[in-house]
Amino acid sequence: MSFVKVITSKLSIARIAAPKTILTSCYCTDVEHQIQIPNRIHRGPTDILQALESTVQRDYTAAHYKYHDDPYLTPMSNLGKRTFAMAQEAGRKAAHWVRKENADLFQHREAEPMIKAFVPPKIYTENSDVCEEDLINAIKDVQVADSTLIYKLLKNKNVDISHGTLQQLLELICFYNCEEPLGEEFIEERWFKQSARGKERQRKTWKDGSFAEEVFISFENPGAEAYSAIIQGMAKYGQIDRSAQLFEEAQNKGLVLSADTFNAIISVSDFLKEGYDHRWKFILETLSLMSMAKVKPNLGTLNSVLKILSTMGTGKVVKQHVLRTLSEFRALGIEPSLASWYYVLISFCKERGPVSPILRNIMAELNGKEFKIRDSRDTFFFVTAMDVCHHHLCDKELAKQVDNLLHLHNNYDLIGDSYKESIYYRHYITLLCKTEPLEDFMENVYQKLVPNIYVPEPSVMLDILKYVEANDAINYLPRLWSDIVIFDHANRENILTLILNIMINNGNREAQIVEKLSNVAWDIWSKVEYQQEHRTKVLSFTGDMLGKIMTLTLRNNDFEKASKVMDKLENNQQSVLGVPQFETLKLYVDHCIQQKRPSSGIDCLQYAVDSGFEQASELAASLIKHLTLDETHLQRISSLVGQAVLTENSVTEV
Amino acid sequence: MMHFTLLRCRPYATKAIRAAFSTKRGDTSTSSSSSDSDDDRKLKRQERSEAARQKLHLLLENMLENDTTTKEKGSDLPLTKARDHRRIAKERREEESVKTETVGKWSSKLISSDGPFSEKKIVKAVQDVSVSLGGDVKKTESELLQKLLGGPAKEDSQQPTVTDLNELFKDMKIDRETKTDVEISRAEQVRQLLQMVKPQPAQTPQTAPRRRPQVSSSVDIPQEPVNLHVEECLGIFNGEEVKNWEEPELNPTWRALHRRELELSVTHPPENYFQQMILWTKQGKVWKFPIDNEQDLETEKDVYFTEHIFLEKHLEGWCPPRGPIRHFMELVCVGLSKNAYQTAEMKRDHILWFRDYFKEKNQLLVEVGAFPPGFEIGKGGLKVEAK
Repeated sequence: MSFVKVITSKLSIARIAAPKTILTSCYCTDVEHQIQIPNRIHRGPTDILQALESTVQRDYTAAHYKYHDDPYLTPMSNLGKRTFAMAQEAGRKAAHWVRKENADLFQHREAEPMIKAFVPPKIYTENSDVCEEDLINAIKDVQVADSTLIYKLLKNKNVDISHGTLQQLLELICFYNCEEPLGEEFIEERWFKQSARGKERQRKTWKDGSFAEEVFISFENPGAEAYSAIIQGMAKYGQIDRSAQLFEEAQNKGLVLSADTFNAIISVSDFLKEGYDHRWKFILETLSLMSMAKVKPNLGTLNSVLKILSTMGTGKVVKQHVLRTLSEFRALGIEPSLASWYYVLISFCKERGPVSPILRNIMAELNGKEFKIRDSRDTFFFVTAMDVCHHHLCDKELAKQVDNLLHLHNNYDLIGDSYKESIYYRHYITLLCKTEPLEDFMENVYQKLVPNIYVPEPSVMLDILKYVEANDAINYLPRLWSDIVIFDHANRENILTLILNIMINNGNREAQIVEKLSNVAWDIWSKVEYQQEHRTKVLSFTGDMLGKIMTLTLRNNDFEKASKVMDKLENNQQSVLGVPQFETLKLYVDHCIQQKRPSSGIDCLQYAVDSGFEQASELAASLIKHLTLDETHLQRISSLVGQAVLTENSVTEV
Repeated sequence: MMHFTLLRCRPYATKAIRAAFSTKRGDTSTSSSSSDSDDDRKLKRQERSEAARQKLHLLLENMLENDTTTKEKGSDLPLTKARDHRRIAKERREEESVKTETVGKWSSKLISSDGPFSEKKIVKAVQDVSVSLGGDVKKTESELLQKLLGGPAKEDSQQPTVTDLNELFKDMKIDRETKTDVEISRAEQVRQLLQMVKPQPAQTPQTAPRRRPQVSSSVDIPQEPVNLHVEECLGIFNGEEVKNWEEPELNPTWRALHRRELELSVTHPPENYFQQMILWTKQGKVWKFPIDNEQDLETEKDVYFTEHIFLEKHLEGWCPPRGPIRHFMELVCVGLSKNAYQTAEMKRDHILWFRDYFKEKNQLLVEVGAFPPGFEIGKGGLKVEAK
C-alpha cells in the first residue's frame, strides 16, 4: 500500500514538472514567472457590508435614514427630530414589552437554529428552578436583575456556586451598580440621551450596603480580583472614601491589584486630596506603587493622570506635568487616545488662562489618522476641539482641519451623541459665520449642513441674522425666515424684532425684494395674530412691531394689509404696548390719500391724536390738502385737531 | 481674526479707561494730582519726548470728556456706597464748586507736602464752601471732608453727623497714605494705556507695564509654543523593564463589560441600509456574509456530512439483507438523508427505533415471512449472507 502511494506521489511530481519545461522551451522566455498565491484573508461577517457601505456617501440634501421618506412627514426642527426618533423607539419598546408579557405566543421557531434576538427573554420568578448554568448565562447576557434573582434562588436552595461564577457576578453588579443597564437595542435612546454621565460622576450614586457589597462579603478571603472589582465599582459611582479605604486594605494584605484599579483610584484623587500639590504627590505615589508592584500601566493610567491634571488650574507647572506625563507613557509604548488629547486640551486651554496654540500641535499629530474608540472619553475630543477653535483661538482654518479629521474614515463614530454633535456644529457654524465671507458661508456651509445635519439653535440663528445685517445681505433674509419658521423659532420675540429691524433698515428698493420682504412681514403678522391660544408663551405685538410691518407692506403698495394692521392698532390700544413711529403713520396717510380713502386716513389721524403725537396736525393738514372731504369728515378732523388747521389749510387752498 | 482681537481687547481698554476716570469721579483731588505729579516727573526726566507728553495730555483730556458718560457705571467705588441719591446729588454740586475754585490748588499739596499747613488749608476751603452753600453748615463740612478723603470715611458716613473735626483729621492722615498708593497704581494704568496707544517699549524702569498675560496672548497668539515631545519624563516607569512585566488578565468580566460599553457608545443610529444590515448582523438577526447555511448550528459543527447522508451503515448487523423489511429501511435511510433538520444523532436514533420495533414484532414477522428463513434480529445478518 505505502509503496503504491510513493509511486503516485512521484508520478504527480513528474506531471507537474513536465509542462513547465515544455512551456519554457516553447516560448523561449527566460523570465521566471512565479505565481504568488496570496494568503487567505479572513473576512469578518460584516466586512462585505462595510465595503459596500463605504461606497455610500452622506447625502446632505436628504433627511437622515431613520426619518420617514416623505417630505411631509420629515421632521425639521430639533424638537421634531427628537420626538420622531423617540416615538420610533417607544414603538420598539412597546413591541419588546408585548413579547415579554406574552412569551407563550412567541415560541414558534421560524428559523433553525433559532435566533436568540427574536425569542422572548426567559423570565425568572421566585419559584423558578435554577442552576448555576442559568446564572452564568444571565451574566453573559448582562441581565443584572435576573442574575441577582438567580443568585438569591441558588442561595435559598443551598446550592454551592463556584468561585469563578461568583467573581463574574461581582464584576457585573459592580460595573452597573446593581442597576439594569439600557438594552443594547435602544440605540436611538442612547443617541438622544443627554450625556450627563460626566456630571453624574460628581455625586455619589453607589448603593451602600447593596447586593454588590453582600457578594463581596460572601467571599471568605477576597483576592485581588474581588478587591479590584469592588474598588473600581465604588470609584466609578462616587463612593470615593470607601474605595480608597479598600484600596489601602488590599495594599496592606499585599495583594497585587489590576492596573484598572490603580487607574480608578488615580482618577478620583481630586476627591481624595484637596490641594493641587497634594493631588500631584498622591498621583506620583500611586504610580510608584504600581511600579513597585510591577503592574503594567495602560492607556487608562495615562488618561486618569491627565484627567486629574486637567482639574488642577492654569499654572505653568501643570502644563509641564502634562507634557512630561505624555512622554513618560510614550516611552512605555502607550499611544495617547483622543481622550488623552481631550484632557490635554482642557488643561492648556482654560477660559481664564492664557491662549495656548496647543491644538495646532495636536492636530499636526492626529491629521489623517483613523481612530477607534479606546477610552470612554474619546467622544469628548471633537466637540472640545471645535470649542477651542471657536472661543479660544478663533481660527477657521484649524476648525476646518478638525472637521476634515472628523469626517475621515469612520471617525464620525466618535462624535458622541446628538447633544455633542449639535454643540460641535454650533461652534463650527458660529465660527465660520464670523470669519468667512457671508456668500461663502451661506453657499458652502449653511446650505450644506442646515437643516439635515444640524438645525441652528435660536442663539445661532440670531448670530447669523446679525451677520446678515452687518453685511446688508438682504437677499438671504427670505430663505432664513422660512428656515426660522420650519425650525420653530418664529415664536421668539428677539428673532422677530431683529428680522423686522433688518428689513426696515434695508435700503434696497428693488420691486422684487420689497415684495419678498413684505411677504415676510405679513408672515410675521399672521404668525403672531393667529397663534394658538393654548401656547404657554403667547407672543404679543408691540406698537413698534406693528408699525414696521405696516411700513413694509406699504412699501410694497399693499394698502389692504396695512389697513388691517392699522385696524389692529386702533382697536387694541390697551393690549398693544407702545406706538409706531410717526413716519409710519405719515406713510399710511399718504397711501390713504393715494387710495382716496378719507375715512381710513381720518381713523389714522384719530389714532395719532389718541397716542399723543404732537405732529398729528401735519397729518390733518395733508389730508385736507390732498383730498376733497365732505362735511362730516371735516367735522371729525376739526374735533380732533381743532379748527385752526382747517382754516389754515382751506386758506392755502383758496 | 480682526474681529476677534477687537473683541478680546475691548474689555481691558474700557477697564483701564474706567479706572483712570474713576480717580476724577471718586475724589477730585487724585485725578488732577496724578496728572500733576506725572507731569512733574516728566519734567524732571528730560529724556521723555515732548510728543509722548502731548499724547498723554490728549488722552487724559479725552478721558475727562468721556467721564460724564461713564459716571453712572462707577457705582462700585467706595465713596458712593450706602448713600441716598439726594445726598449724592448734593455732593456733586459741591464737588463741582470745589473743583472750580480751590481744589486745583490744594489737592496737589495734599499729596506732596506733609505739613499741617495743607490740612488747615483744606479745612479752610471746605468751611468756605459749606458756608457759601448754606443750610446745615457743619454737616456739609464733614460730608465734604469725608468725600475728599475717601476710603474709610464711608463708615463714618453711616453716622448721621460727625461734628468732631479732629477725628476727621486723624482719618485724613491715614487716608492720605493709602491714597498715595492707589494714586501710583492709577498713574501706572494711565501710562499703560499710553503705551498701548503708542507701541514703544517701557521707558521708565519703575513704571514698566505689568501686562496681563491675557492681553499679551490675545494680541499675538502663537506666543506660547508647545512642544508635545519633551524629553523630560516623570521617571517612575522604566520603559525596558515594563515591557517584560506580565499582564495578568484580571477581571475578565469587567473588561468585557467595559468593551461592550465602549462599543455601544460608538454605535449610532444607522445612516443607510448597509449600516442597518451591519447592525442586524452584529445582533445575530440576519445571515452572516459570506452565507453559510450551517450558521449557528454549533452541535453539528464537527459532524462530517457523510454521517448525515450515508445511513445504511446503521442497518448493518440487524437488518435482513433482502426482503420487504430491507426495502422499507432503505427508503427510511433515503428519506432521512434528505432531512436537513435533524442531527446525525437523531437520525441514527430514528433508525434504531425501527430496529427495536421490529425486534418486538419478531415473531409475527417470521410468521408472515418478512424475514428470510433462519434470520433473527440482533444475531446479525452476516450469518445469513454467508449462507
